[in-house]
Amino acid sequence: MSRAMEGVRRVNINGATRNLLVGCAYVALLATLLWLAQSTLNNYYLRILAVIGINIILTVSLNLTNGFAGDFSLGIAAFMSIGAYTAALLSLPVAMKTASFPGLPAWLQTTSIPFLPATIVGGAMAAAAAVVVGVPVLRLRGHYLAVATLGLMVIVRVIANNWQDVTRGARGINGIPPLSNIWWAFGWAALTIYVVWMVVHSPYGRAMIAIREDWLAAQARGVNVLRTRLLAFVLSAFFAGVAGSLYAHLITAITPSSFSFVITFNIVVMLVVGGMGSITGSVIGAVLLTLLPEGLRQVETALAAGGTPLYGLSQIVIALLAALVMIFRRQGLLGGREIRLPGMTER
Amino acid sequence: MRRTWAFLSLLLAVSLVLAGCPAPVMTPAAAPAATEAPAQETAPAGEPIKIGALYGVTGGMSSIDGPGLNGFKLAAKQINEAGGINGRMVEVIAIDGKSDQTATTSATTELIEVHKVVAIGGLNDSTFALAAGPIAQAAGIPFVTAGATLPTLPEQIGDYFFMAPFGDDAQAYAIADYAFNELGARSAYMLVDQAYDFTTALARFFKERWEANGGTIVLEDTYNSGDTDFSAQIARVKALDPQPDVLFISAIPNEAGITTKQFREAGLTQPIISGDGFDTPLIAEVAGELADDVYYSTHASLDNEAEIVQSFVAAYEAEYGRRPENAFAALGYDTMNLIADAIRRAGSTEPAAIRDALAATQGFQGVTGVISYPEGQRKPIKSVTIIRVQDGVYSFVTEIQP
Repeated sequence: MSRAMEGVRRVNINGATRNLLVGCAYVALLATLLWLAQSTLNNYYLRILAVIGINIILTVSLNLTNGFAGDFSLGIAAFMSIGAYTAALLSLPVAMKTASFPGLPAWLQTTSIPFLPATIVGGAMAAAAAVVVGVPVLRLRGHYLAVATLGLMVIVRVIANNWQDVTRGARGINGIPPLSNIWWAFGWAALTIYVVWMVVHSPYGRAMIAIREDWLAAQARGVNVLRTRLLAFVLSAFFAGVAGSLYAHLITAITPSSFSFVITFNIVVMLVVGGMGSITGSVIGAVLLTLLPEGLRQVETALAAGGTPLYGLSQIVIALLAALVMIFRRQGLLGGREIRLPGMTER
Repeated sequence: MRRTWAFLSLLLAVSLVLAGCPAPVMTPAAAPAATEAPAQETAPAGEPIKIGALYGVTGGMSSIDGPGLNGFKLAAKQINEAGGINGRMVEVIAIDGKSDQTATTSATTELIEVHKVVAIGGLNDSTFALAAGPIAQAAGIPFVTAGATLPTLPEQIGDYFFMAPFGDDAQAYAIADYAFNELGARSAYMLVDQAYDFTTALARFFKERWEANGGTIVLEDTYNSGDTDFSAQIARVKALDPQPDVLFISAIPNEAGITTKQFREAGLTQPIISGDGFDTPLIAEVAGELADDVYYSTHASLDNEAEIVQSFVAAYEAEYGRRPENAFAALGYDTMNLIADAIRRAGSTEPAAIRDALAATQGFQGVTGVISYPEGQRKPIKSVTIIRVQDGVYSFVTEIQP
């Protein structure tokens, strides 16, 4: 009896330490993999990897609203756009600002801050926009919410197109310092996964899932429905803004049309194919649907060189894949389950 | 246990993806080499020279990038039939930019890092050129844009970036001069698409020249690409008194037909003038017989009697079974030939040597005009073609040196 008690206590103490150790081990593993990639792969593969990292951030954060809280939001391109523009305006060298942005407020024209704070501010601006928009918009549910968030995308685009002094309108911002790399992309991706995982396994996360399953019942049990949904919405927007900043500093040129419905569509497909309500599913969806079009494009290029140009093949295959997943595996590849890595405790 | 298996298989999948990253590329990359092996044997000397063709052949740019790529490949084929460049064959590696910035930048890096091209040509829009150009610049690979006309591109991107077309300033000046001098117009109405660099820049340069010539702008109105109803704008024009002499519409090909149609249907009969955004069959297709008295400036007219133009049209027709769709086919053709000319003169396939030879280009005879780069500039001085559409028929009017 006493030995059994001792055993339980030992496991508990070791459990906390072990969690920390396991966490450190995974960070070290990720760093090693990134270092390996950095030292062996050429710029092309590194760029694709960076895109994968950005797509993981977007998909995992979208999962919070669409998968866990059950709100079908399509505003991701809008939040990316806000994050991208904010971060780009902050990180552009002062000399370039004075040349290209004569109409900027003086304080902004004479400041240029490093990538990390610029990205955080970009995310924060997106989150702030989500708070402002969220309160009225989250009164809606289902496809009403989807259409309202789509409207948000149009509004942001119109503002970006017309606020000439700050966004340079349709000409967009170019010459953004190329600071994004796999370290930033996967560092932020790891943070996103960690935060979303923690939230989902906290009382807030349980409240989100309860709302998704039956919001009336959740409300009756004392869950503050609006506040919980807003939390998911704002957190998701923050990471979308971060991803926007990473995107801007990867592509180095952004225009209002960079953040169109196409991006939203791609991310939603990654989410749905991976399985809504599964974080690991989102990661798999993002990896798969970034690599697949790239791989298929190689086939297109090779076919064209061989005399049979079949450009557009990759888009058709992706769309077909999405349709097939919906027909045969509506819950997505992982269907709301998680793949647990060894050493990770059930929370 | 099931969980362990799931994890193990995931681990396997991930490691395969990571370890085998180059694998999916290697296979298809090897494929063209295999199919072209016989061509290589007959090649006079050495490996083929790899040149990248970057076009958005799917998506929004496809109607002009598709013909552009066809023209580009046609030029390469003719070069190879004539014995290649300095005895080496040309291999064009064409990657689809999908009219998407992310895909375009990935494709640019792929051309440089995986296929090791010595120069890149293509892209007909500034939005994509601004994303792809800096990558080539950083890698020290010459990039020649076939049709992006934002005049500040070479300065914005750097000394490895060249333009095959004239800038928007040149084409805007040309149509402004033509309307002022030849059509005798003195007052103009402007309708500007707010969604593109190209349309806003074209309008800015038009206005600058028009006012310098002594003309007046009676009203400036706007819309956004994708709009399909122009009745509000038309009502504002009709309310003008006196009526403007010409209607300047700064549009991309998408709206060229629909604006013409709606303005004519509303009973506005003034000449409609524009830039190369109007160089599309859509005017005649959408507006039909209403496509009357439309003038636009563009890169080339396929009706131009000049021998170089007619032999290009004939070769394109023989290769693809149809006439070149628009001037962008000719621009693609010229871009490939311009790069080949530079490699020939450089006597080397070192990207830096090609860059220097490109910068020294003087009097290069292209289908779209004579290309010369003035000292220290990478935007050519070129003639601009004016085209008239009458009863749905396009005809060559004149060439202007703005």
